[in-house]
Amino acid sequence: MLRRELRFLTALWKANLQAAMEYRAAFVAQVVGMMLNNAVYFAIWVVFFDRFGQVRGWQLGDMVLLFAVTATGFGLAAVGFGNVLAMADVIAGGGLDYYLTLPRPVLVHVLASRSRYGGLGDVCYGVLTFALLADAGPSAFARFALGSVLSMVVFVAFMVLVQSLAFWMGSASQLSAQSVNALLTFALYPISLFDGTAKFLLFTILPAAFVGSVPAALVRDFTWPAFAQLAGAAFALLALALVVFHRGLRRYESGSAVRVQV
Amino acid sequence: MAAIRVRDLRKTFAAKRKAAGLRGSLAALWRPEHDTVQAVDGIGFEMEPGELLGFIGPNGAGKSTTIKILTGILYPTAGDVDVLGFVPWQARRDLAFHIGTVFGQRPQLWYHLPAVDTFQLFGKIYELDDAVVRRRIDALADAFDIRHLLLTPVRKLSLGQRMRCEVAASLLHQPRLLLLDEPSIGLDVVAKQRIRDTIRHLNAAEGVGVLLTSHDAGDIESLCKRVIIVNHGRIVYDDKVSTLKRQFLTSKRVEVRYAESMPAGFTVEGTEILKVGKGGYGVKLAFDTRRTPVEAVVARLAAAGTLVDMTIEDPTLEEVIRAIYETARPHAGAGDGEASAAVATAGAVGEPPGAAP
Repeated sequence: MLRRELRFLTALWKANLQAAMEYRAAFVAQVVGMMLNNAVYFAIWVVFFDRFGQVRGWQLGDMVLLFAVTATGFGLAAVGFGNVLAMADVIAGGGLDYYLTLPRPVLVHVLASRSRYGGLGDVCYGVLTFALLADAGPSAFARFALGSVLSMVVFVAFMVLVQSLAFWMGSASQLSAQSVNALLTFALYPISLFDGTAKFLLFTILPAAFVGSVPAALVRDFTWPAFAQLAGAAFALLALALVVFHRGLRRYESGSAVRVQV
Repeated sequence: MAAIRVRDLRKTFAAKRKAAGLRGSLAALWRPEHDTVQAVDGIGFEMEPGELLGFIGPNGAGKSTTIKILTGILYPTAGDVDVLGFVPWQARRDLAFHIGTVFGQRPQLWYHLPAVDTFQLFGKIYELDDAVVRRRIDALADAFDIRHLLLTPVRKLSLGQRMRCEVAASLLHQPRLLLLDEPSIGLDVVAKQRIRDTIRHLNAAEGVGVLLTSHDAGDIESLCKRVIIVNHGRIVYDDKVSTLKRQFLTSKRVEVRYAESMPAGFTVEGTEILKVGKGGYGVKLAFDTRRTPVEAVVARLAAAGTLVDMTIEDPTLEEVIRAIYETARPHAGAGDGEASAAVATAGAVGEPPGAAP
């Protein structure tokens, strides 16, 4: 069964890549543009740490790890499950009709039906900075891959939860856009900056810690309890997202807007 | 065993209601109010395997909502539905392997890719072997005359070409039932006819049952033996198309334009002049096809002067439905709601579908 779904997912990703290749210049511009964007953003932290050395125990090396893991996790989500950034619009516009008439799991089909190749720039940026700056060996790369995948799972699950609110609210695209911004912004700050309520919120309501700091810590120093904490959070959030999405699906009202499958 | 069995199907939606203007929007923000819209209101029918059944009605009549319930897209509020032995909203994925769907307003072909790429993706979605997909694409390319279109990106196809590819894509997995929702919407006369021909062909060649919704009575007239008409979520007519044509599609309207001005008091035998345009160049008239054949009217109009343009129109669905209500009223002796029930009962609702066509 899992093999069947993987074959289907591979076919979808292939179709997405074929569609993107129809516009070669746009494809290359997206990938390179996103790498440059990340590099410029990170340069601000280079200047910052050059001036201050460290912030509550965090140094530039920690920031390299944090950026690499977060960018790779987000990039994997954008490339593999790109509709996670637009699902509220799909729901509100009646776009689930197409997926509901085909014999595949609706949520996976919706999410993977679109690849955002800017995300490939994020992945390239993450992997390259980790390889060049983190002075990493093969086992570190394995930890990096694990941390990035779990970061992606948390990101996708959280966004599915937020986007699924469209089933109840009718429109959740603004809220979703704000949530992506908030999640990524806080994921890219050192967790040591936050205490008390703020820290609690970043582990619960807005689980940015599980997208950035916690996987980065796992890449730096792998321990089984840390892994269990991150994997447990990721799969608990994923289970909750699945329940909420399928509850919402019962309320789906379709629509008559004209759409095309891109 | 019936391919589709629907009993007392109901679907309600909550629709937000607000007064016009900014004040109305502010009031609705503070205290939102909702109306309950009864999109489907007690629909019941059966469809035989391999049948070509028309399901028509004006916009908002409930036909698309019904089709969406039949495919498992929507959950009903109440009622029983059995499609090929499956309850759609409980066994959506199992059912999807046996049905094909085409929504005229929602293309399933990938817009930036050639149609053949979507066909191959559908092969994976329906878990078909690559060799089977290749053979099937080959057969469909011939049947639908789309071989020369398969490698062109869908965005570059005309609407008619695209729709032929859409219908072909929905048949890749050899479904037993095809649900077509407005497949001819937006198409010109020639493209419409090609779609109708291909639907008729696949019904005859593969025995696939077709449930076709349309707001164009012409689709149903040329394809189906049996038709169900819905209005305000209820079935108002369920009987043979031939009966519908004999009883309700009897009038036609013709609009002609002449090169020269027609004389005052211009008449055409067997027709009623509705309007004479400014200067007497254009004339609009109506006639009853039971009394005056179309070819006789065309011949008389052509003989009257040099024709520049001519349009022949069927009555709109709204006019047909009005006629159905008016026919039923003397028997029902009541308002529209009761009259519609009377007409539906007089038709084939609840009867074995085999009796209908």
